[in-house]
Amino acid sequence: MEKILTKKSFPQWVKKLVSFKIYAPVKDGDFWSFDIIDNLEDIDLNCPLTVDSPKKIIFPQREILLEFSTSNEEGLEIKENLPEEKTSIIFGVRPCDAKALTLMDKVFSGDFEDLYYQKRRNSTILVGLTCNTPPSPNCFCLSVDGSPYSTEGLDILMTDLGDKYLVESLTEKGNKLINEAKNLFQEPKAKDKEGVKKIQAESERKIKRQIKDIKKIPSKLKEMFDSPFWDEESMSCIRCGICTYLCPTCHCFDINDEVASSSPLKGKRVRTWDNCQFPDFTMHSSGHNPRPDKASRLRQRVLHKFQYFVELYHNYQCVGCGRCISMCPVGIDIIEVVDKVRDYES
Amino acid sequence: MVNLEDLKEEAQKILKEEKVKYIIGYKKSPNSLMPVPAFIKNPEDTEKLIWDPTCIYNLTRFLVDEKRRKEREKNPDERPVGLIVKGCDSRALIVLLQEKFINRDEVYIMGVSCENTGVLDEKKLAIKLKGKKAEKIEFGKKDNFVVTTEEGKIEIPSKEILAERCLECKANFPVIYDVFLGDKVKKNIDNPFKSLEKIESLSGEERWAFWKEQLDKCIRCYACRSVCPMCYCDECVVDTINFAVTADTTAQEKAQKIKWMEKSPDLSENLIYHLVRAIHLAGRCIDCGECERVCPLNIPIRFLNKKLEKEAKELYDYEVGFDSEQPSLVSSFKDEDPEDFIR
Amino acid sequence: MNHNVYIPSVTKIIKIKEEVAGARPIKTFRTIFLNKNDFSHRCGQCALLSVLGKGESMISISSSPLVKDYLQFSILKMGRVTSALHEMEEGDLIGIRGPYGNGFPIEDWKGKNLIFIGGGIGLAPIWSVLQTALSKKEDYGKLTLIYGARTSQDLVFKEELEELRKKVGVHLSVDVEEPEWKEFVGFVPVNVLDKKPSPQNAISITCGPPIMIKFVIQNLKTLGFKDEQIYTTVENKMKCGIGKCGRCNIGKFYVCKDGPVYSWAELKNLPQEY
Repeated sequence: MEKILTKKSFPQWVKKLVSFKIYAPVKDGDFWSFDIIDNLEDIDLNCPLTVDSPKKIIFPQREILLEFSTSNEEGLEIKENLPEEKTSIIFGVRPCDAKALTLMDKVFSGDFEDLYYQKRRNSTILVGLTCNTPPSPNCFCLSVDGSPYSTEGLDILMTDLGDKYLVESLTEKGNKLINEAKNLFQEPKAKDKEGVKKIQAESERKIKRQIKDIKKIPSKLKEMFDSPFWDEESMSCIRCGICTYLCPTCHCFDINDEVASSSPLKGKRVRTWDNCQFPDFTMHSSGHNPRPDKASRLRQRVLHKFQYFVELYHNYQCVGCGRCISMCPVGIDIIEVVDKVRDYES
Repeated sequence: MVNLEDLKEEAQKILKEEKVKYIIGYKKSPNSLMPVPAFIKNPEDTEKLIWDPTCIYNLTRFLVDEKRRKEREKNPDERPVGLIVKGCDSRALIVLLQEKFINRDEVYIMGVSCENTGVLDEKKLAIKLKGKKAEKIEFGKKDNFVVTTEEGKIEIPSKEILAERCLECKANFPVIYDVFLGDKVKKNIDNPFKSLEKIESLSGEERWAFWKEQLDKCIRCYACRSVCPMCYCDECVVDTINFAVTADTTAQEKAQKIKWMEKSPDLSENLIYHLVRAIHLAGRCIDCGECERVCPLNIPIRFLNKKLEKEAKELYDYEVGFDSEQPSLVSSFKDEDPEDFIR
Repeated sequence: MNHNVYIPSVTKIIKIKEEVAGARPIKTFRTIFLNKNDFSHRCGQCALLSVLGKGESMISISSSPLVKDYLQFSILKMGRVTSALHEMEEGDLIGIRGPYGNGFPIEDWKGKNLIFIGGGIGLAPIWSVLQTALSKKEDYGKLTLIYGARTSQDLVFKEELEELRKKVGVHLSVDVEEPEWKEFVGFVPVNVLDKKPSPQNAISITCGPPIMIKFVIQNLKTLGFKDEQIYTTVENKMKCGIGKCGRCNIGKFYVCKDGPVYSWAELKNLPQEY
């Protein structure tokens, strides 16, 4: 269903949702990031791209999987630690970040269901915001089958019409949220809907960056596995973790035991984000490392996103948010790398 | 004024003479105001080199990569690498030489003077331009920067948009070089530790609250460690694996590696990481400011290192990065060293 | 499916046997689940053994699926988790979750001759296939084992090998001469050329150090084996075991989920990065 909500009424709607945990972009010094909102009247949706993505709410950087101790009669007790079921709402989700979550869904379901991810995913309601203008100078969602007004993965999509929002509910969860404050919403008029169509057309036109002929990329990458191209491209990489940690589709993680006391043994098994750009990511206990240098790690990142994921799930594992480009300390630009791949002649 | 053509000519010369393997410098990025590091092997490509206020990166960092690459190769090319350095970068080089991490003959130093200005702080420029996009920025006359936007050129006094590190610059021209470009202009900084005054004026509790709030944000991307030229250890306190492992390392040794901090980005682990790193850099950090520039969450980690730099100066009269023969701070002592902390 | 994949089941170590002593020790462990469990595996599958407090390690299950009384693992002491396992005693508790991986397609091999080629600890992952084939001798053709290690001390399953000789062709080797060694001296791939197993109606299963596997495959092809007749297992660093943590991939395949068993026909088309 489609409804109109004036900007004045928006804080009142949010206040009605006080029984949920509410997340929205919050300003922190120079940048914006998703955080829990304490003062529900403070939500400002008019902001540039957040430095991190809503991935961190559904797939947190630290997740306690289980707790262990040797204090009971069996001698070893293992207790699982599933997340609580309180429903959360995330406001201001850009369509790229929502699409990223649908890609992560593919990874975390399948033969082995990841209960931690599923529980959080199912208890989160995503309220999106159309990108009237690109929130980042490096946006390129159109090139990777995305769009600034896509509804993929969202429960509600809001479009800013100046003094009001067109609020489009896409799922049962979305309908429920709107019904919490039915009286604040009105029916959209024809000119509201026309306004949205105009904004949608404009929003696509404003996206400046693109990867041309991206369909050629997966097969080209397959040929280039052993090419010296990766050595040259990775020369300036400093092997930090910024590109992967800020990426809304990257899902690699590590599992470690954190011991609080050794006798009697008590501790937690914790899952944390991990990073294929770190040199120890694939290092075996024996010291052998299948990816010992930056070239092989950069190659892994690009191939995973633009070839392997495509072969497995028929989607690029990139939503064109541009965060890796904006935040790379040495200016490595994935659009440039992929462009060079497409045009590469060995 | 530094003549860019002279720089390109010198670069072309040493490449043509095959004196160096390749040259590390700056080149323009097609999609951003900021440059990207350039690794130039062919004399024709020296055309791409640039020198302007955006050249903020500390390229000394890439000498660490070069060393690692040589260790992996069977018959490495033993020629030096050409490196374009500013004053601060050259001090990092001095530290690498002082610690014998590299030899003097492994690097051909092309020093460039910042003269009376320095490099740009992107964010300050964005605020100054109030939303207009800068396409190009160059060194101008009278210590101004000339910024080109779509509306034309504007002159801005460099002082207003200099990077914070440049306001406390101790070496505005390289202290070691094989070839020198620009003028050796003396730059007076009355208080090299001025930026610490605000934090130092806070009470102990306020400072603790400040750092707790800042370090809670940290996502342990290790960009600060990765960009620092001095963080070159194969066996780092942070990693769970010791990279110096060989086929002869016993299982016992591997099993006994101490886990100093967990991988979790908890406040307690983040604190240990940053504080230990600061202590490991005491007497080695030359305040190039790269760690703070690369942090995606704008955590002011430079202050931690700067505070230790100040203590090194005040307690031990130690200044790093000017003399490659001086002993390291933490592994030497003088008879006059203060002893009032010994009970 | 409400089962939480990350939670290991508590198991007790009922037997520990020292196979190889010295600088690179190998011990064989037998475990039973404390609580009733419907754990059942296929030959070639692995399980994640947990030493709570240290971590997890992916180890192949070397006992045959036909053995219901226990699970058997042979573990080389290599790092943190395996060292902790080596310090355990019979009766100690560890965690096990699994089984993971794709297993050998032994149903497709009925009626064929099976040639097992192992090096060092590499005998353990293929031992389950050998034991299963022995138990169902009528279903398979001729069984042969070509196995070697650096020295005679480094051979695993020494007693079991002596028993095995009575039933199948066993050809052992050591890398260098040693006193009282009467069998082949040289690397396992060279022993393969020496014993000339026939590719007629045969499947070859090999496992060992990567360099050995490379040359064994080369020599098998020289002897006339086709790519589809050669099977091996691949090793990579693993953490989740279920294809989600992104660590063990070779190309688009995750070794923990789509492997570790591959035929050479499949493996040669994957990026050679392991």
